Amino acid sequence: MLEIRSLSVGYGERRVLHNLNLDLPSGQILGVIGPNGAGKSTLIRTLSGILTPQTGQVRVAGRALVQLSHAERARLIAVVPQATHLPPAFTAWETVLMGRTPYLNWLGQTSAHDEEIVRQAMLHTDTLELADRRVGELSGGEQQRLLLARALAQAAPLLLMDEPTAHLDLQYQFSLLDQIRDLVTEGKLAVLIVLHDLNLVARYADQVALLVKGKLRALGTPRQVLTPDLLSQAYHTPLEVLFLGHSGQPFVMPPVK
Amino acid sequence: MKRLTFLLTLLTTLSLLLGACAPAATPAPTATAAPSPTPITFSDGLKRTVSLSAIPARIISLAPSNTEILFAVGAGAQVIGRDEFSDVPADAKTLPSVGGSMGKYDLEKIASLKPDLVLAAEINTPEQVKALEDLKITVYYLSNPTDLPGMYANLVTVGKLTGHQPDAEKLVKSLKARVKAVEDKMAGVASQPKAFYELDATDPAKPWTTGPGTFMDQLIKMAGGENAAAKLNVAWGQISQEELLIQNPDVILLGDAAYGITADQVKQRPGWDKIKAVVDGNIQTFDDNLVSRPGPRLVDGLEILARLLHPELFK
Amino acid sequence: MKTLTRPYLVSLLLLLGALLLSVAVGSVFIPPATLFNLLLQGFSGHMPSTGESQSLATILFALRIPRTLLMALTGAALAGSGAAYQGLFRNPLADPYLIGVASGAGLGAVLAMSVRWPYSTLGLMAVPLAAFVGSVVTVFVVYELARVGRIVPTTNLILAGVAVSSFATAATSFLMINTTGELRRALVWILGGSTMSGWQPVLAMLPYVALGLGTLLTMGHALNVLQFGDEQAQQLGLPVPRMRLLIIVAASLTTAAAVSFTGVIGFVGLIIPHLVRLLWSSDYRHLLPLSLISGAAFLLAADVLARSLMAPQEIPVGIITALAGAPFFLWVLRRVKQQHLW
Repeated sequence: MLEIRSLSVGYGERRVLHNLNLDLPSGQILGVIGPNGAGKSTLIRTLSGILTPQTGQVRVAGRALVQLSHAERARLIAVVPQATHLPPAFTAWETVLMGRTPYLNWLGQTSAHDEEIVRQAMLHTDTLELADRRVGELSGGEQQRLLLARALAQAAPLLLMDEPTAHLDLQYQFSLLDQIRDLVTEGKLAVLIVLHDLNLVARYADQVALLVKGKLRALGTPRQVLTPDLLSQAYHTPLEVLFLGHSGQPFVMPPVK
Repeated sequence: MKRLTFLLTLLTTLSLLLGACAPAATPAPTATAAPSPTPITFSDGLKRTVSLSAIPARIISLAPSNTEILFAVGAGAQVIGRDEFSDVPADAKTLPSVGGSMGKYDLEKIASLKPDLVLAAEINTPEQVKALEDLKITVYYLSNPTDLPGMYANLVTVGKLTGHQPDAEKLVKSLKARVKAVEDKMAGVASQPKAFYELDATDPAKPWTTGPGTFMDQLIKMAGGENAAAKLNVAWGQISQEELLIQNPDVILLGDAAYGITADQVKQRPGWDKIKAVVDGNIQTFDDNLVSRPGPRLVDGLEILARLLHPELFK
Repeated sequence: MKTLTRPYLVSLLLLLGALLLSVAVGSVFIPPATLFNLLLQGFSGHMPSTGESQSLATILFALRIPRTLLMALTGAALAGSGAAYQGLFRNPLADPYLIGVASGAGLGAVLAMSVRWPYSTLGLMAVPLAAFVGSVVTVFVVYELARVGRIVPTTNLILAGVAVSSFATAATSFLMINTTGELRRALVWILGGSTMSGWQPVLAMLPYVALGLGTLLTMGHALNVLQFGDEQAQQLGLPVPRMRLLIIVAASLTTAAAVSFTGVIGFVGLIIPHLVRLLWSSDYRHLLPLSLISGAAFLLAADVLARSLMAPQEIPVGIITALAGAPFFLWVLRRVKQQHLW
């Protein structure tokens, strides 16, 4: 689904991502981790068309990213940003309907088909009962789920998520990620998710990419990437990894006192 | 983007053309009376051709100076409307007002009075003249004169417009005589007192005054005086208090007396007490309308000035 | 798109009422029956040619109707572009003058007023034309100052707009003080209201306002998407830089045309969109047309007041809108925020 080859991105003189290579097939969740300033958000912005690659190639569903029009790209890649400063006046329904933009004409006329997709998206994210409420009245968790619904309404095979759990209460963090997990397994979705919480990554990601100072330091399964050596080096602090449960899911924490 | 620029250029051209083809844009209206004797044509201050086929009997004046001139040449009975500020002569105040404050006139009122001549002045904008033309009203735009001969010419013009040419010419003759009388008196005068004419001193450090190019400047000279603001490089401008102290005028003329400024107030202004006029107590009030309205009362102003500057000649 | 019939009905009725009021009110009283007859005669092409009817007809067709249309067009232009600016800048305090249209027009107009133009059709159009050019040039300068590569960040636009406006206003004040003869004329122009009568200003303004507002009306959906911020809008597939440019050009053109003929009338572009949000809809596909209609009605009403409050004196309409607008605006904005509409 997503192929990145030798990708370098920068702002003018300053280079932020160096020579990235990775592959993300459909049906997988790729967790991107790394300390602040590693370039995680830059990666999302590049993949979603905000920034242009300086060198390298990105292909989505076999097509070169730079050759896509804005609408074509939005039909292939959907972004779930953090739920801050959403326009409060729109209803939840109208907000999710925005996800259909890449399929609509310039007047924004929607069809019954569009509305059905929106309904399904809201159903999948448990937001249908919020449909007529104004976004300004909703909680942070509800707004975040709304943004996920909006991205689903885009019906794009690749989902990019930038710290979607940042402002959520614990139970909502898990339920959101559970929903994504379900969507990935049942649909042909590929998800690239930037997360701060290493343990969420350990639990939900199929692949993990560790970015440090714009370079891909490690790429592999959670067990392969979440090792004490790699993590301690990356985060400049000693870290230990435990293995929990019968699946041996990694659990990262500072050394026990 | 290119298409947008093209569209915009097309639009600009189109709307300019549209504007040029606007209806009722003829600048030479004629009176709508029955077949008449050969009309007299005039060229007014905006270089427009104005035709009158009969002596106008319903005149509206849009400026106080025009009102004064109309009455002075004997056409007062023909005036049926005036602007808000026309107050001389007293008869004028009884006429209906057509507006004029905040620069706007009541066009509907003017139209409803059915004037056969509207006398405009330089305080009226070309747009206002056009608006009246569009209403098929005859307008004559009287430009401001820059000197007394120019004012005499305006009197005669208004006389011709209103069928009072002989009266106007007689008026001019008498005005000229009065002016000559003053000039003769001033011929042998020994000294020329310096006068400072105050228009506005809300900021006493930078009062407004009349400089070269204004009537006041000319009249002061003709009345045997010297304008303290002679070195100002604009017609109406501010003079700094320092410059005023350097000029040290012998007499201060309060053109803002109508707004409540008194000699006592002047004496109390910080730093002004060193000025000769203040020391001598020679602070006089002056009716600004005499010099700001370019009409026959300019000569009244001259005579008053002569008395104020050279009281010794009028004992 | 939710079908809203009631708001359109209500606002169109208000507009109709305001149009009739504006045509019926003036210092010369035209009895309603006569008014009705004259209107019929005029629209069927048979104008009365003699007597009392003729002068009433002249007043009606040469003065009142063109002025009514002028004010209606101006109100629509200001409210429509105000709504567009608020959407574009995502700022509830944005008004059509934010990026320099008014100050540029003022400078152009006052510059033109310091020249004695020949009394001809083009000479009489010199002031509005100069004002228009002044507006357009100012917006262009602001745009270029704010541009960083291909992107024009909103903050830059606002900052550049404020800076350039201050400069233009200062230059205008300087000019006004130095040409004392034209001081009153310049002041009257700037305070807002119709300084040109008749059909000429209406016909000259019409194509620009029609094109500008027409364009804006098609940008409703784009404005909705832009409410999520430039990044999200682009991620949703909207060609953001192009859309922003189009909106700026259309809104500025509309405002420039209005200001060039009717001076700087404030508060219409600021309040009307918020009122519409409060009463009817925040969806720009409805907000724009409803603002347009309501703006026209509002300015017509204000103009009737301007003409009648101190008759025969006419108050510049910009003063009326400011006096009514300022206290009202605070109340409206508070309500809007309380109801989570911004």
